[in-house]
Amino acid sequence: MAERLDLTVDLGRGLRLRSPVLVASGTFGYGFDAPQVDRIALGAIVTKGTTLRPREGNAPNRIAETPSGMLNAIGLQNPGVDHVARVYAPVWASWNVPVIVNVAGDAIDEYVAVAERLDSVPGIAGLELNISCPNVANGLQFGVDPDQAAKLTSAVRAVTRLTLIVKLTPNVTDVVAIARAVEDAGADAVSAINTYVGMAIDVRRRRPVLSRESGGLSGPAIKPLALHAVWQVAQAVRIPVIGIGGIMTPGDALEFLLAGAVAVQLGTVNYIRPQAAHEVHEGIAVYLQEHGLRNLRELPIRSASVLTHA
Amino acid sequence: MSVAIAPAVVVERSVPMAGAVELVVYHPPSAAAVNPGQFFQLAVGAPRTILRRPYSAAWSDAASGRVGFIFNVVGAGSAWLSQRDEGSELDLLGPLGRGFELDGDRPAVCIAGGLGIAVFLGVVQALVARGRKVTMLQGARMSAQLLPADRLPGADVRTATDDGSRGHHGSVVDLISSHFPPTFTGERQGGGIDLFACGPTPMLQSMIGLAQRHAVPLSSIQVALETPMGCGVGTCLGCAAPRREGGYLLTCQDGPCVRADRIDWDRMEDQFHG
Repeated sequence: MAERLDLTVDLGRGLRLRSPVLVASGTFGYGFDAPQVDRIALGAIVTKGTTLRPREGNAPNRIAETPSGMLNAIGLQNPGVDHVARVYAPVWASWNVPVIVNVAGDAIDEYVAVAERLDSVPGIAGLELNISCPNVANGLQFGVDPDQAAKLTSAVRAVTRLTLIVKLTPNVTDVVAIARAVEDAGADAVSAINTYVGMAIDVRRRRPVLSRESGGLSGPAIKPLALHAVWQVAQAVRIPVIGIGGIMTPGDALEFLLAGAVAVQLGTVNYIRPQAAHEVHEGIAVYLQEHGLRNLRELPIRSASVLTHA
Repeated sequence: MSVAIAPAVVVERSVPMAGAVELVVYHPPSAAAVNPGQFFQLAVGAPRTILRRPYSAAWSDAASGRVGFIFNVVGAGSAWLSQRDEGSELDLLGPLGRGFELDGDRPAVCIAGGLGIAVFLGVVQALVARGRKVTMLQGARMSAQLLPADRLPGADVRTATDDGSRGHHGSVVDLISSHFPPTFTGERQGGGIDLFACGPTPMLQSMIGLAQRHAVPLSSIQVALETPMGCGVGTCLGCAAPRREGGYLLTCQDGPCVRADRIDWDRMEDQFHG
């Protein structure tokens, strides 16, 4: 008899996932819309970026396909934290999958207020701090400066008992410095990375395709870049790293796990193949079996001593 | 929401009018489930593309298990689709969104600009099946780009062309006026017709302006919106259309077919046709 595979992941502070495959913020709404997805198969759902007050989002045009990728500048359209806590969370409490709320804001006070509002709400398994939204005014201010990132992380840490994940932006000179800063400030885990700032121009109309001119690039186009960021961060911090960036297939996900991520988030692929998370989970399981591995902790190809997710 | 993810098989490919391609697929669950005005997300395999392409079902026939799509080639995705041979598989996600509300007994007037005609094969059929009087106003740049009237059985088809090569020489919107009630009586307001529209945003805006000048309630007008789309199911929030009371609705979830009074037409931009 083959030994039972262990695909569980510990993200810290009691948040244990049954699968290393999560769905990324902004690609799965609040978990209610995606068709034909067996939610139970997911490691966790990370929600759309949620702010203190409702936001209408940016004017169209908000998205553009680019070579092997897409740009988005949605602008954090969301119903606000109160709606999330009152209407969505009670439903999540009955689900068999953890829901992690992605938290966004313009000021430390705003992040803190959102975190406080969500702290004791049943149905919410963790918070992911979006310190890296490229599509709103000042969206990147916390993500590009280690001191600001640390200040924000510790301010939120002080008001929540939930597992706190900080989502890093790649639009920096040194992503490792930011990762270390938020680790020291009390983050339980980091997710890496958010979208790369990019743009597309409509040649015929001679103007940017997106109404905000620039947007966040996602999809297979950024995968090698994201993988390198994860490789660097995973060696620099002791907290778990969740890999994100253009993952479409089990092979893509395995690259991130081999690079040192303890889990992955699927993003853009959810728009194309809603069943992708399930396929990636199955593919990882098959790979472990084929290689005689019993759990994900045996995967990383760098020294296991830098990883403490056991 | 009834949603199918399954391969459909291309059973026919043709050119219904100049510049357009019609793909007929065999996919009984979709043919049985789709309502006129709903759309599917079609996966495309063109190099470097990743997103699915949203297309309204042009028509469907539950008995034969077939769904038709009519589109023009505008980029790599539609070019790839236009080259699917009979027998090749297509990956459909859908039917998605809200179709037209077709019940009622007032005369129905459908108005289409350019490829907007694609959605009306099924709409006209469904309206006629309900015993409604149907007028189809179709506009195109030139005669060759008009869908032949025999594809719209049961409808009184009137045409307009930009170059005057067939029908009215000018905008298809000019053809509506005679269907609107006079502005001065007030009595027939809202009691006249139901209008169904699909076409480029400037055409729709001109139609809305005309309707307002004739005091036609915008709630009697249904529009099939076209915007760029990412996921098609409400998660990416990419297909925003300006809502009358501020903010945005989503073409994929709140539409694509909406009552015209839900849209802020002044903020509506043409994101495709320019």
